[in-house]
Amino acid sequence: MASHGRGRRRAGFGAAIAGAALLLTTPMATLGQVEGETFTYGANLAVVTDLDPASSYSNEVIAMHNIYESLTRYDSATGEVLPALASAWSVSDDGLTWTFTLRDGVTFHTGNPMDAEAAKAALERTQALGLGAGYIWGAVESFEAPDPNTLVMNLAYPSPMDLIAAANYAAYVYDVNAAGAGASDEELTAWFAEGNDAGTGPYSISDWQPGSEFELTLDAYEDYWGGWDGDKYTEVVFRVVPEATTALQLVKNGDVSFVDRLTPQLIDSLRSDENVQVVETPSLQNLMMLLNTASGPLADPNVRAAVAKAVDTDGVGVALAGAVAPTKGVIPPGLLGYSDELAGTGLDLEGASALLAESGYGPDGEPLQLTATLAVGDNDQSLVATSLKSNLAGLGIDLDIQATEWQPQWDRATSDNVEERQDVFIMYWWPDYPDPFSWFISMFRSEDAPSFNLSYYADADMDAAIDGIQSLTVTDRDAAEAQYVEMQQQLIDDAVVVAPYVQNYQRALDASVGGYVDDPAYAQVVFVYDLTPMAS
Amino acid sequence: MSTRRLLLRRLPQTLLVAVGVGLVAFVITRLLPGDAASTWAGPRASREELALVREQLGLDLPLPEQIVRYLIGLAQGDWGISIHTRQPVVDDVMGRLVASLELVGIAMLVAFFGGIALGMAGARWKGRWPDWITSGLTAILVASPVFWLALLLQLTLATDLDLFPVAGRFDREFRDVVAESSGTGIIMLDALLMLNGPLFVSSATHVVLPALVVAAYPTGLIARLSRASLIETMGEEHVRMARAIGYPERTILWRFALRPSLGPVLAALALVFGYALGNTFLVENIFNWPGLGSYVADSISTLDAPSIAGATVVVAIAYLIANLVVDLIRPIVDPRLR
Repeated sequence: MASHGRGRRRAGFGAAIAGAALLLTTPMATLGQVEGETFTYGANLAVVTDLDPASSYSNEVIAMHNIYESLTRYDSATGEVLPALASAWSVSDDGLTWTFTLRDGVTFHTGNPMDAEAAKAALERTQALGLGAGYIWGAVESFEAPDPNTLVMNLAYPSPMDLIAAANYAAYVYDVNAAGAGASDEELTAWFAEGNDAGTGPYSISDWQPGSEFELTLDAYEDYWGGWDGDKYTEVVFRVVPEATTALQLVKNGDVSFVDRLTPQLIDSLRSDENVQVVETPSLQNLMMLLNTASGPLADPNVRAAVAKAVDTDGVGVALAGAVAPTKGVIPPGLLGYSDELAGTGLDLEGASALLAESGYGPDGEPLQLTATLAVGDNDQSLVATSLKSNLAGLGIDLDIQATEWQPQWDRATSDNVEERQDVFIMYWWPDYPDPFSWFISMFRSEDAPSFNLSYYADADMDAAIDGIQSLTVTDRDAAEAQYVEMQQQLIDDAVVVAPYVQNYQRALDASVGGYVDDPAYAQVVFVYDLTPMAS
Repeated sequence: MSTRRLLLRRLPQTLLVAVGVGLVAFVITRLLPGDAASTWAGPRASREELALVREQLGLDLPLPEQIVRYLIGLAQGDWGISIHTRQPVVDDVMGRLVASLELVGIAMLVAFFGGIALGMAGARWKGRWPDWITSGLTAILVASPVFWLALLLQLTLATDLDLFPVAGRFDREFRDVVAESSGTGIIMLDALLMLNGPLFVSSATHVVLPALVVAAYPTGLIARLSRASLIETMGEEHVRMARAIGYPERTILWRFALRPSLGPVLAALALVFGYALGNTFLVENIFNWPGLGSYVADSISTLDAPSIAGATVVVAIAYLIANLVVDLIRPIVDPRLR
């Protein structure tokens, strides 16, 4: 039996009875089955909804990255793309042809070799199914496998395929013949749904019990190309612990190695505990307050700018201390184009008052009623909205805060009747691959019928900049970076959006876990193979 | 009324109520704002994807047709697919129900015997110090908020004193044994049937804290009820007769007063059983008990109509069966009802 090597496990009462009970006939059935150390991930949600690597787009990602690998992997700390299944890659000058050199001697858990044909087949299936995040391969016109070690992607338009290949979802390379050669897409999906996997990663599914507390167990894949030299965890267990206070007790007792999410108050209570390490990292998920540029009172740029100036970014940062990190632009730290030099953000009630007076509103002008919509049950969002409401009240504006489920919030925002739409739309955004393009193409590119452009922003300059930025990212990263900064400044100047903060990840780990680095590009994922179990 | 006639009359009634409850639950979840298809397809799904999912889940059909399909499925044992687990609802709910029944069942045993013991002590020494103590204790048991009690026991008895595990249903090393056993699903019982001592100990130690918390309110309630009922019975003619004949007070309490007093207590037990089954979700969450309560909580947050309706039907049936069983037992316990 694996343990954390710490003598703090429950002893007392239970053990005493257990000792007595050993007198009964049955031996401890599973003792000694597993060699080495176990890493137990305490997840606050059920782990698996979809085990098909093509369509998986949910919480199982925390397991998938330990089972499957992609061509590349992103390192948020340096902003570099690192080799994974591809050991090297190059791009043509026009940015339209990407050539990946694949690693030798990699096998799938099914025993089949991972070569260019296999990778091509997997990515083609993911692209063709187009489920979950499958659209990330949208730029690819064709995959080619000229030789077993070379995978070529021919693009319809320039795209940073090295970044896309490092995506959090839908970038996995898997064995499409896992359910037998010639199995249909549905048959393969069904085979995955039985709890099977066909990855190349360090771990493979050994046990999946939906609905159970110990939902998913992964065992070391002996033939992993990276090898098993040195101290590594050889078993990964995903334990579902929805209640934060319970997760806290479990990590304190050494019953789980890692807890993905606790409240800031609970994290504070762990800081002095020598058996627990606390790791805090800004995420790539930030709060978007989209201001309605097309209809209602906020169509007036003065009113919009005034509302933006009434958002107390610093105050919110203090109130949510630990849980968030204040920012200025829409691009979070760790991504291309992040800047803390942007001008014109932060609380400025006098400026707001002056702007409102120009349009006939303000404390001495006509009263104004605005509506903000946000997610029900999200305390952080509701704190931001409440703070804005009280600031606006002093400016003669009444903000009506409406918290609903996502669907009604979105239905209202995308309603054909523009009168029905809200004035301020509050939501979180995060990228599917570590690149700022997602924010701009989704939220700030003009749309005929709104989907996520819920500022209803339509600006020819911005559209042109967005349409050109992907190829610029491929051909000239420095120029792309400067362009992204400019685009963010334009959004602030036009008062399109306020992005007051990025969320922080606050993790609690057993003190015996060595080498943990939280990479926000892979939200909630622990790459267990990279860790070292230490005696403590 | 004979047992057979009672069953013949009550069974159809029970089924009808269960179906009605499921129907209401299903319709209400369908009328709520929100869209199960968007939960299924994920937050960034395109409109085409959503339409496809809606078609697959039958959400595009008119509501009456959805209801008819649902009821036909219900009768055939096809309760739909859960939106949030993507497993058949029947499998989900039945697995969870057994876990909840194990927890609530043990809690009911504690409540029944603990409550009656407290009630008897109060009735036997009415108005004297044992009565005061039991009254105070029952007031605390009835008034304590469940989550507070749960956290308190978890912090003191599990984390600080290390007497019991913090959470869960059994230790992880028994995962395979439990998964492969084709027993009742009630793990303590299965462990006994398999003669697996360590598993029995593991599951027994895990159940203690959540069971105590679930038992708190019912224990207090039953203590009060049985005290009142006992005091009333002690004043009845047959008891006065026994006293006049010269039986000692102890014998009177045990032999003459207890059984007639149990009627209202048993009726209340069936009530609190239904209450506990539907309301354990806080306790189940805190102790990570994989029961119906935590399942329903997850279902509600994902607007998972088939799961909510399925769980509701199951709780309704369990509640109705509990009532039926109590009605069958009462004449056995209290001879006057035969």
